[in-house]
Amino acid sequence: MTTGIVAWMKNNLFSSIPNTIATVFILAILANFIPGLLDWLFFSANWSGETQDDCVKDGACWVFIQAWSQQFFYGSYPTEEIWRINLCLGLLLSVVIGSNFVSKTIRTKIFVPLFLLLPFVSILILNGSWIGLEPVSTDYWGGFSLNIFLAAASIIVAFPLGFIWALGRRSTMPLAKSISVLLIEFFRGVPVLALFFMGSVMLPLFFTEGTNVDKLLRVWIVLTLFMAGYMAEVYRGGFNAIPQGQYEAADSLGLSYWQKTLLIILPQVLKVSMPNILATFVMLFKNTSFLMIIGIFEILSTTQAALSNSYWLGGHANEGYLFVAMLFWTVCFGMSVISSSIERKLNTEHRK
Amino acid sequence: MNTENTSSHTTSEEVIIIKDLNKWYGDFHVLKDINLTVHKGERIVICGPSGSGKSTMIRCINRLEEFQKGSLVVDGIEMIEDVKNIEAIRKDVGMVFQHFNLFPHLTILENLCLGPIWVQKKPKAEAEAIAMKYLERVKIPDQAGKYPGQLSGGQQQRVAIARSLCMNPNIMLFDEPTSALDPEMIKEVLDVMIELAEEGMTMLCVTHEMGFAKKVADRVIFMDGGEIVEQNTPQEFFENPQVDRTKTFLDQILNH
Repeated sequence: MTTGIVAWMKNNLFSSIPNTIATVFILAILANFIPGLLDWLFFSANWSGETQDDCVKDGACWVFIQAWSQQFFYGSYPTEEIWRINLCLGLLLSVVIGSNFVSKTIRTKIFVPLFLLLPFVSILILNGSWIGLEPVSTDYWGGFSLNIFLAAASIIVAFPLGFIWALGRRSTMPLAKSISVLLIEFFRGVPVLALFFMGSVMLPLFFTEGTNVDKLLRVWIVLTLFMAGYMAEVYRGGFNAIPQGQYEAADSLGLSYWQKTLLIILPQVLKVSMPNILATFVMLFKNTSFLMIIGIFEILSTTQAALSNSYWLGGHANEGYLFVAMLFWTVCFGMSVISSSIERKLNTEHRK
Repeated sequence: MNTENTSSHTTSEEVIIIKDLNKWYGDFHVLKDINLTVHKGERIVICGPSGSGKSTMIRCINRLEEFQKGSLVVDGIEMIEDVKNIEAIRKDVGMVFQHFNLFPHLTILENLCLGPIWVQKKPKAEAEAIAMKYLERVKIPDQAGKYPGQLSGGQQQRVAIARSLCMNPNIMLFDEPTSALDPEMIKEVLDVMIELAEEGMTMLCVTHEMGFAKKVADRVIFMDGGEIVEQNTPQEFFENPQVDRTKTFLDQILNH
């Protein structure tokens, strides 16, 4: 018999003596480990209740997550204003996903400008004071939505900024070149945590005395510059992949430097860089959890605050950190899916 | 006059004047004292062994290559460092490359419209009308919506020719336009070039297609070692070469 599950197992799991030993060994470990885990996660878990006294069974106390879910996701943002956060997240999602379903012309003429404006529109909506909504100070912004907003806002600004730095690095003008190299190497060579501390301590020195620059604004600037340094290097790889003939063809048509760069080179650079751009995005997004250390109430600090709350001192660290891990994983996986769909789309557009 | 040759359109107006042109790559002297005057409507074929500087010479004409000494005037515009002059010359000179160099992220129609829309500032509808006119001339209007990667090499090269023509150039440069093509596709590209020559386009063509040279060229130039070694009418050039190096070269490419 050469087909069927028995044959498959014989070929793949028990093909030789070492293979058989390895299979048995791994199965034994899994058998030891999985039932307990499933039991803790699901079968003996506590699913409903209000306080930790409702967690009577041995398993996970999901009541903890439930009770704190608003904090985890929206921080201390006023409950009646939470629709503003949802609106901004909705805008972000619809621009990113929507751009997959429109024609190339609409994408470049409408979705790209929308995408670049999004951080500023979101700030207007979330802050509210400039557009006649209830003002909400950044002290109340927090939770996982803050991780998403900070990462997205930094990525969106770093997108063009990194491109300009990469162009500067290729420039024949000595000043533009050396400034770009300096910026790129600085922001790539210093750990992001050190940059955060420098941002909180040093950045205010650059602003005029007496102005109190918002903490989140400083974080945004630091994240953006850090990201731009990485993006510039990603773009550099993309530039190297463009054949010289593309530049020559653009030159021979009489296109100016900027026309050539934006119409011919940029789209092709973006296309070849797409996998690396996504990898950089994911890295930056995960790095937003470092913000806990400088006292920003993002998801990880919120979780710690919840864990040390006097009503919830029952030791819910497992549930809390598992939940945080799941949130990050879900968003990163989502970005993977979106990016591979963009890649497929670009591929089919160029050679059907 | 050679009976095979299409009628000459050459006029007395000088459109390219190259004087004592010299170019070095570091220590390597690629072009040595090149002197060449091209008249409006003239068709010139440039041949020579690889590394002889023939591509480099025509690439100097639209400033894809810089030169260090000498002067170059195209359509009355002096080739100097000034970006304005360079862009003015490039608008006047079309170029077709060995590897087509179409823009892979744009459709055929978008490839053709790019120059008219962004350089000549024409409205989109007018640019598309021009593009379709030239696509019909190179006989592939039905491919307008496709991407370059979906076309054969011969089709891509015809698109590249059409893309240059959309800019309505006075001079066309061809840099080995058929060298990257499969044999069965060479003819379709040469046919387009012959048609263009018959319409009186000023052409400088680096090629080893000697049949094409005999048929359309007013003058054949032989280059070797960065110099123009010999130039003559095709008939004289092929039947009665004067210089030994030319004879050796012709033996090699005609009798293989």
